[in-house]
Amino acid sequence: MHWLELIQVAGATLIAAVTVVVLYSVGVRFTAIAGDPEQATPRWMKSLAYACFGLCGIAVLFGLYLIIPYFSK
Amino acid sequence: MVALVIALALFFDFTNGFHDTANAMATPIATGAIKPKTAVALAAVLNLVGAFLSTEVAKTVSGGIIKEGADGIQITPDIIFAGLMGAILWNMITWLKGLPSSSSHALFGGLIGAAIAGIGIQSVNFDSLMQKVILPAIFAPVIAGGAAYICTRLAYALTSRHDPETGSKLTQKRGGFRTGQIFTSSLVALAHGTNDAQKTMGIITLVLIAAGTQKPGSGPQFWVIAACAFAIAIGTYAGGWRIIRTMGSGLTDVKPAQGFAAESSTASAILASSHLGFALSTTQVASGSVIGSGLGRKGTSVRWGTAGRIAIGWLFTLPAAGIVGALTAMLVKTGVVGVLIAAVAGTSAVLFMFIQSRKSHVGHHNAVEVEEAGQAVRFRKKKAMAASRANKSKDAK
Repeated sequence: MHWLELIQVAGATLIAAVTVVVLYSVGVRFTAIAGDPEQATPRWMKSLAYACFGLCGIAVLFGLYLIIPYFSK
Repeated sequence: MVALVIALALFFDFTNGFHDTANAMATPIATGAIKPKTAVALAAVLNLVGAFLSTEVAKTVSGGIIKEGADGIQITPDIIFAGLMGAILWNMITWLKGLPSSSSHALFGGLIGAAIAGIGIQSVNFDSLMQKVILPAIFAPVIAGGAAYICTRLAYALTSRHDPETGSKLTQKRGGFRTGQIFTSSLVALAHGTNDAQKTMGIITLVLIAAGTQKPGSGPQFWVIAACAFAIAIGTYAGGWRIIRTMGSGLTDVKPAQGFAAESSTASAILASSHLGFALSTTQVASGSVIGSGLGRKGTSVRWGTAGRIAIGWLFTLPAAGIVGALTAMLVKTGVVGVLIAAVAGTSAVLFMFIQSRKSHVGHHNAVEVEEAGQAVRFRKKKAMAASRANKSKDAK
């Protein structure tokens, strides 16, 4: 029995899901802060939010890149 | 015979897409993140793309479960036909009875049952079956559920906003997750293509190998991949119209942040499994995620009755479909008449299902298979929470 493969799946799932969710959540949070009306909102907050969303997208694309056999050959 | 099996297999693929669109696209449509028509078209296209991405699962189905070719055990197209019939018939029974069931497991069960009845117990590669089907079936939903639980916790923790001075809650502004759901549910659709379309490819490849037109142990041919990809995409698109009709009735209480976490976990679990050739049920993984993410929210508890019913449905499918497959195999073994009887029974079952599905009232209870999993988690009522909060503040005073 190859338990290693199961552990691999578990690990990969956890890492991928947590990465995506954390990056996106941080992005959402920065957007929320940037949208606060009462404070003088720093402009870089907004760009930080976009950076998080961008990183999240890159993480997803990297995951797909690892999976698609066409690229790994 | 080969042509008949291919046609049946493609139809099976079509129904698979037909059923599972809802799992991927129901939440973003419900939260209004994406227009229904766009969502359905997107899901169809991504299923198509996903089917081309990887063929590991197809190799598991065609090469791993039933010993074919050189080892001396000859699997025939008749046996595969019987297995497929078993799967289709079992699917119809569960569908009529409203039992939660996995069409993927029905397929494997039917095939294994038919092989045991038709050839003998030595024809099944139990090592590979355990490794690639049974263990993943048990662990993948648990893994996805655990990941969803952690992700939901993280998503809520990272976006909960309190006023630094007074400590009172600010507006949470989690609307961003609604947009994010478009992407995560797209990933789920893609993952669905990489796992579910593969099973049909595996069956068709197995038939081609059995008929002697393809080398044992080789992967699916290009036309097989393309045909399966299109069958599942068309099925997805056709199935989508059912969901659009149900949108008025509302869905389980799934918040965008929670849905985002659940869908990310589902997609990662399925994609990781597909990569290693684990053939699993996408519905089961999605159900695991929904339950996990439900638990990740505050003030929830599991309705063990419902969850248990789902679990029993999972455990039951493989052996039950196996018995149906075995019976069909025995029927087919009796000769041409047996094959005819099985073919007629199967075709009429499929037609009957199709007509019934058009006629019957479509509610979200039968369009969204994950719905049941969503109900396995009890949410604390808003009012109860408000009351308990009020009590606490009274105590504080």
